[in-house]
Amino acid sequence: MAKDGFETLKLVGTRPNRPDGLDKVTGRARYGADFSLPGMLWGAVVRSPHAHARIVKIDATKAEALDGVKAVITRADFPTGLTGEDWNLQENTMAGEKALYDGHAVAAVAATSKLLAEQAARLIEVTYEVLPHVIDVDAAMAEGAPVIRAGAADATVPEGLHPNVVRYMEFGRGDVDAGFAEADLVMERTYKTEATHQGYIEPHACVSKMGADGKGEMWVCTQGHWYIRKMSAAVLGIEASQLRVTPTEIGGGFGGKTTIFMEPLSLALSKKAGGRPVKIVMSRSEVLRATGPTASASMDVKIGMTKDGKITAARAEFRMQGGAFPGAPVDMALYCCFAGYKLANVHHVGYDVLANRPKCAAYRAPGSPNGAFAVESLVDEMCRKLGLDPVEVRLKNGVTTGDRASYGPKFGSIGLTEVLEAVKAHPQLQAPLGENQGRGFAVGYWFNHNGETSVSMAIGEDGTAQVSVGTPDIGGSRASIALMVAETLGIPYEDVGVNVVETGALGVNEPTHGSRATFASGKAAVEATQAAIKEMCRRAAAEWDIDDEAVEWVNGAAQPAGPNAGKFPPMSIKEIAGKMGQTGGPISGHHESVPDGVGASFGAHVVDLEVDPETGRVTILRYLVVQDAGRAIHPSYVEGQYQGGAAQGIGWALNEEYVYDDKGRLSNTVFLDYRVPVASDLPMIDTVIVEVPNPGHPFGVRGVGETGITPPLPAIANAIHDAVGVRMTHLPINPPKLLAALKAR
Amino acid sequence: MRYHSPTDFASASALAAGASGVTRFLSGGTDVLVQMRAGMVLPDDLIDLKKIPGVSDITQTAGGGWRIGVAVPGIVLGAHEGLKADWPGVVEGMNLVGSTQVQGRATLTGNLCNGSPAADSVPGLVAAGAVVEITGPTGVRTVAVEAIPAGPGKTTLAKGELISAIVLPARGDNAGDAYLRFIPRTEMDIAVVGCAVSLRLSGDTITEARVALGAVAPTVLLVSAAADAIIGTTLDDAALDALAAAASAAANPITDKRGTKEFRVEIAGVLAKRAAKIAFARAKGETA
Amino acid sequence: MARITVHLWSGLRRLTDGDLESVEVDASTVGEALVAVAAQHPGLEPVLAAGVSVVIDGEVSTSRRQVIQPGSEVYLMQRLKGG
Repeated sequence: MAKDGFETLKLVGTRPNRPDGLDKVTGRARYGADFSLPGMLWGAVVRSPHAHARIVKIDATKAEALDGVKAVITRADFPTGLTGEDWNLQENTMAGEKALYDGHAVAAVAATSKLLAEQAARLIEVTYEVLPHVIDVDAAMAEGAPVIRAGAADATVPEGLHPNVVRYMEFGRGDVDAGFAEADLVMERTYKTEATHQGYIEPHACVSKMGADGKGEMWVCTQGHWYIRKMSAAVLGIEASQLRVTPTEIGGGFGGKTTIFMEPLSLALSKKAGGRPVKIVMSRSEVLRATGPTASASMDVKIGMTKDGKITAARAEFRMQGGAFPGAPVDMALYCCFAGYKLANVHHVGYDVLANRPKCAAYRAPGSPNGAFAVESLVDEMCRKLGLDPVEVRLKNGVTTGDRASYGPKFGSIGLTEVLEAVKAHPQLQAPLGENQGRGFAVGYWFNHNGETSVSMAIGEDGTAQVSVGTPDIGGSRASIALMVAETLGIPYEDVGVNVVETGALGVNEPTHGSRATFASGKAAVEATQAAIKEMCRRAAAEWDIDDEAVEWVNGAAQPAGPNAGKFPPMSIKEIAGKMGQTGGPISGHHESVPDGVGASFGAHVVDLEVDPETGRVTILRYLVVQDAGRAIHPSYVEGQYQGGAAQGIGWALNEEYVYDDKGRLSNTVFLDYRVPVASDLPMIDTVIVEVPNPGHPFGVRGVGETGITPPLPAIANAIHDAVGVRMTHLPINPPKLLAALKAR
Repeated sequence: MRYHSPTDFASASALAAGASGVTRFLSGGTDVLVQMRAGMVLPDDLIDLKKIPGVSDITQTAGGGWRIGVAVPGIVLGAHEGLKADWPGVVEGMNLVGSTQVQGRATLTGNLCNGSPAADSVPGLVAAGAVVEITGPTGVRTVAVEAIPAGPGKTTLAKGELISAIVLPARGDNAGDAYLRFIPRTEMDIAVVGCAVSLRLSGDTITEARVALGAVAPTVLLVSAAADAIIGTTLDDAALDALAAAASAAANPITDKRGTKEFRVEIAGVLAKRAAKIAFARAKGETA
Repeated sequence: MARITVHLWSGLRRLTDGDLESVEVDASTVGEALVAVAAQHPGLEPVLAAGVSVVIDGEVSTSRRQVIQPGSEVYLMQRLKGG
């Protein structure tokens, strides 16, 4: 569809109820823990209470003696010889020689009831030799830090660094020293962010069965069941093709459900228990201790700016730990941190560091919020020092379509300028501020992703359509895909069903990650629909006995394309579908690809807040999200993504963090103490959807899920500075920290 | 696990006295059931008190005070106009516990017996001068609320003893109380510091006061020095500063996941001032 | 087959023979370019094997068979995905 055809859209851009909504609000939707099978056993996992310990002995005698205990597994039940990320996944699934973090699985048991399984888990005796541990990223790469795994570094790491540094990167262009020399003001600061968890409401849950023949089935709450299949198969040394994985409804993921945790354990337990299904449901404290939070970061940023706000050079050196395995998103953090700025001289250095914490997983724009906190805080500070308007400085340095990104390649179509202009026009910038109140502003970025995508759609005999996608719906993608398919077919929204189907039903799909579901599955669904339309036109042409090319599809019907094609009344989809059994059989469409044309998304946030000067407590007064959606297929779910990203970012900025005790054990393992914002903490988050259509998508879609978590971290720090004059460089800015800073003022 | 549902307190006491393993009393269950689910406490004997007649009642005592049954949930306290008029600080403390759902079950007695130094309802009871009626193997005795907590998760109740009611004294004239807690969020959190103030006025002068602090020591503290700082004053700025200093001086907190020692010391003073102002306004008849 | 300049991130330069910012190869597709880069600079092979994103004229390439037009700008980046 051409860009200028958008004004003719009937459904795209409207806000119908989501197809999964009624089931969710009435409790009919089946989530991971709702699934059960006859003869099912319950699994429980024994977890290390130590941050770093050699596993000397595991004695399951007492557990195995309990009546009703059907299987006990340890690492000895897993294949050996894995390498690379497969080994990392296996080691994280079940500890081998050493437990690498508090909560690391060391054994698992299956029994006839949940209580019995938990009792048996308590009876498994593990002898540990406790080793020195390290939690903080800077401490982990300092001389003398405990070595978590020798030889884990890859080829990029130069000689002479601590063995906990496992990846190193460096990139940039121009001459940063010359650039700093041109500046009127050069500032350099160090920033830190703490690890946070995605905080999805639904804990991980799965039911698996695997027979002696090596064939397995699994029902699991996940963002990507093909990933679960591939990773579980690798970890267990089985054929992925023998494993069929069905996704359940999902209660949040935010990146944290794109990988495996206890899923292979349930398969291994089932196999050892003679093929009986095994269900494992994590508790909240298991989720916080042993699934993947995000990385923590320590970051140095140096920027040079002229008196009129032109950035002459920029340098970032980021150190991030992503737990006891390689994979902290330091690369993404560096790519995104200066992405909004047109820079001739820029240099980036990154270290990926091991620490005795759980293996990090993706979390909404992984790395980008950390980097934005550092860079956007410093830009704000420099604007204030030079007496410049922070929005104007972003406009002055801001990238536009075709500019070279700070990380190398040139940008395709982007809408940063349009976002900044929309911020300037918003009334919140004029709202009066009282005593101890402040306003903060920051910009954020995410690339967005395409990924392997396979979609099928079929026309029903009644002229409706059923679409099968492989990307679990974590943000309203079923509604958006239904709108796009209905628009393309020219039929009502209610006539399109969209189902997330199992691994046996489609080609490989990457998970719903990288803000890709509405972009990639949506684009593929439109392509598949076009294929079905072509077939329907062919059926009409055959009926009319005219050329296939002489038929066009308009408003849900085939019609002769122009007066020369023939004079027939339009043949509706219902008519064609009703007799398809006699005209050649079922009509369907498929599309498989890694769709090109990904559109990146910039956003900018404005926060007004108040600081209680006696307690350091921060109250968010007003919050504005402005972001480029390309085109909002279903504006309510775009707004939902903007608001959700902002809410998570506010939590990260103010109160969320992994708190470890001196033994390296996680102290705050329940939501009571892992302080995500509650509804009453937040004002209604205002949104402005900017639409700079992405030419790479038939309806102009850009992914919108991730960018929104990026600006809140610096925007809040900047607002706090505006309110009370202190510059907070270490998140979270919780009341004890802020009060201490106020007293030191 | 054995589940018991006695119909009088003497039987409940006898069951507990005769039990040999881990014993828990069950009323609202908002602590006990959660601890059981988390595997933290696995009782051998669980004694449900809700079948005992009168445990869900709030009744006025002969002296004009209030007798609150051990199974009265927070939501019922919050809906009781007479109790709220007399002891708004006690009621607001209880009503801060947990969520709306938790309020439907959680009780004052349970909050006290859970033994948390951060229990939101306890400072208000202590400031109010409330007492508890204890049924035990040797009969019934009455002690001050502040004598019950013995440290985190511990009480001074002996084996076989259980609380059979909480009794608030008559409020009397020209008096008011208030409870404030500090949490970084707005709800669904545990007090980092809590403070209750109860006072009586003669004209604008404070003639009686009790100040209690939560979450700044192993037990809830009754801080007489803080009360002394405002008795005889009109709660002027000097008195408020003296109150804050006394509250901070009495605080003896630890640094943990919920807040630092230094922060808690400071906030004890801040909350004492703020709570005292509210109690003062209430004593003046303002509905703040 | 055309002469193509493949830009490296500078952390990779150390792994080339001669500390190079970019590598010149003859290739017509993404796959050919990667094979040619690894053949010229075996030090880069493990990094390429672990997975990189190949960005052509600002777009992450979607297939090793993708054709690289002469004059296109080719960058190697760390593998991208997201949450």
